[in-house]
Amino acid sequence: MLEIKNLHVSIEGKKILKGLDLKINKGEVHALMGPNGSGKSTLSYVLSGKDGYEIDKGSISYKNKNLLELEVDERANEGLFLAFQYPMEIPGVQTSFFLRTAINSKRKYLGEPEIDSLDFAKSMRVVAEKLSIAPEMLKRDLNVNYSGGEKKKQEILQMSMLNPDMAILDETDSGLDIDALRIVSDGVNNLRNKNNSFLVITHYQRLLNYIKPDFVHIIADGKIVKSGDYSLALELEEQGYEKLSINQ
Amino acid sequence: MDLATNIKNITDPILIDYLNTNILNNDPFKKPFVENYKYAQLNKKINSDFKASTFAIPKSLLDTCFDISSQPYPELDLLKNLQDWNFHNADSVFRTGSLVGRKSIQIKLDNFKESILLLDLTKIQNNIVIDATLNPSKVLIIVNANRNQEIPQSIFINSIQDSNLEIVHFDICNKKSFLYFQALLEKGSSLSLTTIQNFNNHIRNEFYASLDSECNFSLQGLNFDNKGVNDNYSFIQHLKPSSSSREIFKSIVNDGAITNFQGKIYVDAKAQKTDGYQMSRSLLLDNLSKANNKPELEIYADDVKCSHGSTISKINQDQLYYFNTRGISNEMAKIILKKAFLMEVLNTIKDTQIKEFSINLIDSLLNGY
Repeated sequence: MLEIKNLHVSIEGKKILKGLDLKINKGEVHALMGPNGSGKSTLSYVLSGKDGYEIDKGSISYKNKNLLELEVDERANEGLFLAFQYPMEIPGVQTSFFLRTAINSKRKYLGEPEIDSLDFAKSMRVVAEKLSIAPEMLKRDLNVNYSGGEKKKQEILQMSMLNPDMAILDETDSGLDIDALRIVSDGVNNLRNKNNSFLVITHYQRLLNYIKPDFVHIIADGKIVKSGDYSLALELEEQGYEKLSINQ
Repeated sequence: MDLATNIKNITDPILIDYLNTNILNNDPFKKPFVENYKYAQLNKKINSDFKASTFAIPKSLLDTCFDISSQPYPELDLLKNLQDWNFHNADSVFRTGSLVGRKSIQIKLDNFKESILLLDLTKIQNNIVIDATLNPSKVLIIVNANRNQEIPQSIFINSIQDSNLEIVHFDICNKKSFLYFQALLEKGSSLSLTTIQNFNNHIRNEFYASLDSECNFSLQGLNFDNKGVNDNYSFIQHLKPSSSSREIFKSIVNDGAITNFQGKIYVDAKAQKTDGYQMSRSLLLDNLSKANNKPELEIYADDVKCSHGSTISKINQDQLYYFNTRGISNEMAKIILKKAFLMEVLNTIKDTQIKEFSINLIDSLLNGY
């Protein structure tokens, strides 16, 4: 699905990623953990194609295509989804309208007809209910005056409706209370199948209690310093980043 | 700025006469009203080569409204009533110029039983005096489209005591258009005026309103996808106590166009308990375009609430990126963001039918004419 080789990235001359390797196969859930400033969010922005990140070296292939050659919207329409740590507020744009436009953009890209508005409304209602999003929320402007938890649920709603092949969750657990954490995790777990993959970026092992990863990677100073299974996350929780990184 | 050079291309004899007498013989920068033309680069607008599209009033609107444009109306001698239009420290080229040059007619909205009325300015070349109705309240749609002349047209609105009127003004596909609006609000009256300006080149609209006590006046403006220079000037004066005015002007500027908004709220010493608000916002889509916003307050009373604000910004790149990450192209995202920017103004239209029509119209205009 996704293969990152020896990735070096800098922002305005400052090196952030320094030779990162990561391979994610179909049906796998990978967790990426690391201290502040280790390059976790940079990786998610580079994968989505945000401006301002200089790729100095390395390659990223996604579904056997060179990801770096695709525009941001093309990547999304190819099934790559980034759930933001801080979702944007878009005043004046209704949440449901935004969602329908996104779905129709993807359909247009794939050469499919536009979604029937009744079908759309129906499936949106079903997914929203599962995520405990009140129907009134869908009529409000996107993310405007939403609480932190509501914004994160909104991201999961978008993800569920767009049904991506490869989803990156950038610190989706930050700012969530226990109930919201479970709801968001359920949303992710419902979507998991043998054909899609997830990259879950987090600081804390707590989220991984709900979303059980197949692999856990620790990133420090721009590269992956240790990989393992779920037990690595537990080990990390006990010992902290510093000790594990020194061990490397 | 050399005003004499700027206006040399004007051909309307009345306008030339007026400008000669009032501006060119004096030092323009010492006269207070020249300040009102600070950003209006008249020569630039007239010289630009621009082929205007043609706007046909959509059938859906014609079906909704009763067209009152072609009725016979009585003539009025407006010059006799000039003393009624005493605006403090404000002056307009167009008011005097058009009064001299044109006949004036009087339209009494009470004479029509329909609630949504349409006035097509291409069918009427005269100055127009509109008398608002008492009850029930009416909606008046004024369409000014496909105009290609620089003779100003004046519209006078008399909001009689306790009357309630909503006006929506579509100003579309004009090459050179000068409109002068003046509203006199009597005690307890309400007037809402929304102007929607699109596909124009070289327009200037002036909005004057004079408020008695306990009036509500609101002025909303939208200006998007225009060429050349687009001027909007507003002057709202509170003369008696306890009136409120709300003003919001939004413009989206691209393709090297220039929009100017200049608006003043004047509060007389007698107008205690005035509540005034003005906001102007401009969105610049490229580096060639320009927006000048000039909010002004002039307050002589000491127990009032007046505020104003102004912003000029570019499209938020982070918002664009967010759209992109959901598969929405830049082109599409810009259209959506432009509409979102305009929605705040459209939402102020009170009549639901006309609001829906306006939103649909703007949808189609944003997607290319």
